[in-house]
Amino acid sequence: MKAIHHALALMIIAGASHTVHAQETLEIIVPFAAGGATDIVARSFEPVFSEQLGVTSVVRNLAGASATVGTTEVAKREGNPNIIGYAPAGSLSIQPSLKDLAYGPDSFTYICRTTSNPMFLMVSRSSDIEDFDQLVAASQEQPLLYGSSGPGTLPHLAAAALVVESDLDASHISYSGSGPAMNALAGNEIQFMADTETILENYDLRPLAVFAAQRIEGYEDVPTINELGLPEMEFSVWQGVIAPKGITEERKAQYSDACKATLESDRFKSFAENAKAGIAYLGPDEFESFVKERFEANKQVLHDAGLID
Amino acid sequence: MDIILAAVGDAFAWQALLAIVVGTWAGIIIGGLPGLGSVVGLTIFLPFTFGMSTITSMALLIGVYCGSVYGGSITAILINTPGTPQSAATTFDGYPMTQQGRVDEALGWATFASFFGGVLSCVILIFCAPQLAKFAVNFGSIEVFALICLAMMCIVGVSKGSVMKGLVCGMIGFFLSMVGSDPITGADRFTFGSYTLSSGLTLIPVVVGAFALSEIFVRFSSRDDPGAKIPEARLRLPKLGEWFKRWIELVRGSLIGSFIGALPGTGAAAAAFISYATAQKMSPRRDRLGQGEPDGIIASESSNNAVTGSSFIPTLALGIPGDVVTAMMMGAMVIHGITPGVRLMVDQAQTVYSLFVVLIIVNVAMLILSKPSIGLFRYLFRLHQGYVMAAIVMFSFIGAATVRGNPLDLVVAAVTGILAYALRRADYPLAPLVIGMVLGPELESSLRRGLLIKRGDFFELLTHSGISMALFSLLALLIVWTVWSSIAQWRAAARNQPSYD
Amino acid sequence: MVARLAHPRVLLALGLFLLGVVLAFHAWSGPSDAMLVPRIVLTLWSGVALAITLVELSRVTGTGSWPLSTLPVLMGAVLIAAIAVASLGFLLASLPLVALTLWLFRLHRPLPMALGTLVIAGGLWFLFHHVLLIRLPTLLTSGAL
Repeated sequence: MKAIHHALALMIIAGASHTVHAQETLEIIVPFAAGGATDIVARSFEPVFSEQLGVTSVVRNLAGASATVGTTEVAKREGNPNIIGYAPAGSLSIQPSLKDLAYGPDSFTYICRTTSNPMFLMVSRSSDIEDFDQLVAASQEQPLLYGSSGPGTLPHLAAAALVVESDLDASHISYSGSGPAMNALAGNEIQFMADTETILENYDLRPLAVFAAQRIEGYEDVPTINELGLPEMEFSVWQGVIAPKGITEERKAQYSDACKATLESDRFKSFAENAKAGIAYLGPDEFESFVKERFEANKQVLHDAGLID
Repeated sequence: MDIILAAVGDAFAWQALLAIVVGTWAGIIIGGLPGLGSVVGLTIFLPFTFGMSTITSMALLIGVYCGSVYGGSITAILINTPGTPQSAATTFDGYPMTQQGRVDEALGWATFASFFGGVLSCVILIFCAPQLAKFAVNFGSIEVFALICLAMMCIVGVSKGSVMKGLVCGMIGFFLSMVGSDPITGADRFTFGSYTLSSGLTLIPVVVGAFALSEIFVRFSSRDDPGAKIPEARLRLPKLGEWFKRWIELVRGSLIGSFIGALPGTGAAAAAFISYATAQKMSPRRDRLGQGEPDGIIASESSNNAVTGSSFIPTLALGIPGDVVTAMMMGAMVIHGITPGVRLMVDQAQTVYSLFVVLIIVNVAMLILSKPSIGLFRYLFRLHQGYVMAAIVMFSFIGAATVRGNPLDLVVAAVTGILAYALRRADYPLAPLVIGMVLGPELESSLRRGLLIKRGDFFELLTHSGISMALFSLLALLIVWTVWSSIAQWRAAARNQPSYD
Repeated sequence: MVARLAHPRVLLALGLFLLGVVLAFHAWSGPSDAMLVPRIVLTLWSGVALAITLVELSRVTGTGSWPLSTLPVLMGAVLIAAIAVASLGFLLASLPLVALTLWLFRLHRPLPMALGTLVIAGGLWFLFHHVLLIRLPTLLTSGAL
């Protein structure tokens, strides 16, 4: 009922031309279960975003199959201006190469990238490996194992790419999430892992290198992969807002303005600081080319690592 | 000392106390409704916590969590339908007691055991968290594999009548958990080309079908039988002397729950089954287990509530969530600026101590609120059976539909319900199906990881470490003993063979 | 012997056996790493189910039938409603299901039935979908129903 009142008031004030479809509730699809890391970011993003748009919104969790179920749902609602998705890197730039999905990189109207966190190569602090060369040397003595939060996830891809490009001799074991993988790292079941700053800070870990073009603020003594004498590698965990294809340019502009304003709001900024989510805005066009570029790059990695033909 | 006093002060602020009362009470009701469990409860309350202070929001969520684990036992005892998967083992003895007219006593034991398990695990959490966390790190994939193998043996114990039928049900549950992506390689399994199936099947719809919907079908076939009426239930807490007689059972259940909770990746449902299986071997009244023996309720309820406290051990000490529920709690902590991890105890000592105090108050609140909650269920169950059954169908549907928002889960629940009815009519025990589904995924992925670590050599798994060798030897002993005793039973049964018409 | 085969207990065990064999066959023809555990589990399933079939066959006497009366109606309704939720949305699928359940459980007076249907199906749906904002499946693409 409140939604209708809200919308009615808006219609009178702004006139019918501006409230494109404001009488309906905006549905924000989060492709993870409630309470997960991505869901928390989306739920902090949602209230500010809908305030900016002047609509009521509701978060709908549609989890499963590495976030592709929820992402598919957005792709299927072609032309619907009242649905958006809060999508992670994996379901947009990795899964379409791995699985036969109903969507690809061209199936969406890209709104904005919200956050991005570079990934680090890390070992347990209790291990005596201090830098990348020692890691390689250790792997020559006895092949190592690296963990990931699941097959085909970014931690898997980043480490797999590193193994392909360097002299590192290591194979992959997947866990049901970053937590269990950290338990394995602490117990020396696996020897290294690639993941974000959040993980690095929460556990007793030592960064060896960062998968980014430049060194990262706060980690000035951690070299980039390129500085180790390897080809440049960029892996980061990012998220963004997507909408179905076929919405009007006007609606797209409304969304991206609201997104930009949300990321600049104090409320979201203070949350992002707590959650160690690095705000990294990209507008619609840059985001679209970014996703497509990442899609091709990840496809190449998957191919080189022998995960797809 | 100041910091502890300040922490106690935070926990006793009126906002926190109000949040505890509201959360715990709502948790008990939500847990008691079949289909709605801890995860749905937390999903409902999570959005409300965004505007609250850290301690208040944690108090609310911990209340919902602990309350829901206890609440599941109420419907398990009253109508043979566990409100949550964690309470599935409570039906083994809880419902027979109800049929014998001892429903008040059964509820009393469930309540007291839940309280006892919850408090004991808080104590363990407060005093032994770092040590237990360190020990849990030694549980790598291979040790977990050995432990889960041991736990799987409880299928034999809970298969009343026919071990073979129990085994088949365990395999069905195990198989259901394998549909979807392979956890290690990501390859699709048993999806037969269907994208919908590639996201796999989840526990809640299967539990809802196997227990809630099949119970409705069973009650429907006997709806004119006056004995099938839901009894008037009141709470009668056990007297001091009574619980003193069973203190070993209470302590053992709580310790098992506390230990299982401290291991990442298991959870309260697994703990309850393992504890029940242990009681079958060790309780002095083990002969009567399964026929309405309070020890069975104690084993199940003390251990599943003990998980609530100790599941915070890996979360707080290592930042590793023990199960889905603690993962959600961890997310809520992050929102409020608490970052779980190795430095939490140092950086945020006051918050952590407040959490400990909150956990204890929640368990006390649970004990106090159990009476009005059971009163509410008594009032609801006094309605015409049709209303109750229709409401259970609806709650089952809502529970299945909200797990992950996938309409396929409703169909899974309905099909499981129909199949489960047929299985029940032919005397197949259904608990193994849930056990297979709960323990199966962890059994499989720990084995596969172990094989990857040992480069495919299965026999090296057996001699991996001291812990794993001890666990595997125990397993071997248990298998020999089980086979031995079932041959003896089979011989005895062969002499007076039953026949069906 | 043939009569015994038609006993529901035997049919159920036989059905489980056949299902196990089909699935096991599928598992054995799949990739050896991903299908390692399924192969073990399903082979065991088939073996045990075969044993159960033989035991049931030796124990049953006569044809035996389970009196079901209108139970298949209730089962069918639950199944159809569960399938229909995906396309009709939660509310439209659950209203008739609740009404039918009340009717089958012998609540035949029109007023309690109508009220019960409205409160149990409509009320719970409203509570979750609109008050608690836990979204349930909706009718096609409009969000309200």
